[in-house]
Amino acid sequence: MSHPADSRGVPEPRPDVDAQASARAFREHVEPQLEVLLRVAQSLTGNAADAEDLTQETLIRAYNAVGRFDGRHPRAWLLTILRHTHLNMHRRQRPETVADWESLRRTRPAFGASAPHSAEEEVIGLELHDHLERALAELDPRFRAVLWLVDVDDLSYAEAAAALGVPVGTVMSRLSRARERVRHHLGPNILTARRLP
Amino acid sequence: MIRSLRAVVTCHWSARRIQRYLDADPAALLTPGEVSRLESHLATCETCAQVANEHRTLHRALSRWPGRPAPDPVAVARLRGFVDQLVGEEQ
Ligand SMILES: [Zn+2]
Repeated sequence: MSHPADSRGVPEPRPDVDAQASARAFREHVEPQLEVLLRVAQSLTGNAADAEDLTQETLIRAYNAVGRFDGRHPRAWLLTILRHTHLNMHRRQRPETVADWESLRRTRPAFGASAPHSAEEEVIGLELHDHLERALAELDPRFRAVLWLVDVDDLSYAEAAAALGVPVGTVMSRLSRARERVRHHLGPNILTARRLP
Repeated sequence: MIRSLRAVVTCHWSARRIQRYLDADPAALLTPGEVSRLESHLATCETCAQVANEHRTLHRALSRWPGRPAPDPVAVARLRGFVDQLVGEEQ
């Protein structure tokens, strides 16, 4: 290696000024994203324990790289690191996808509950949810990944692109086709008669 | 006949923009001109209005997937502690 240690992300000897700036930048850019990171890590790994490990490892890498981060789009920056870290830790996963459907389905409720707003909404939600589960199970995993990250995990197109390592245009076309397939699978009756308030 | 052909063209044009209109994602915003053209079409075309409603319902249902949106607060607290460890020595 011809490079001096400073460009390699080794946190070893850094001047105190740099270290303090890094610490500040880390607090500012990374700390507000912890919940999103954990949520997406859960979607990538499909289980809570792996998600926490992955998030910790991502935080270490982000800390070593924060001195070179320009401060723009911290969430997309972190999700790119999350994806690389995930690929290093779990090489078996298919590229451009999230966890397999069974583990997404199974582990999701282990996360904190989001209470429905009313009993009526709960019934409506559960019924629609059943249909949705079947529709999502039939999607191509690459289509399902985009739908999951944008519609369930609430990422922007650019953030989903970073998390999956694909261009934004690819996110948009897969998302659009995934939604059309689910919409046709459910049909107008299910989607209109059970409209959520 | 010409009139109905124009309507079909507008439906097709609208169909390709409904999701972007509803998402309003910063990476793919419609122009103000596109928004007003689409909105006036949705106000008069039942078919396209129905499609837009179905997309709204679908997104709402997915965004309320059980367990969304709050991750386990205990795990989040552990991660905050981890951040404190990482940063702590420098402050
Ligand atoms: Zn129309």
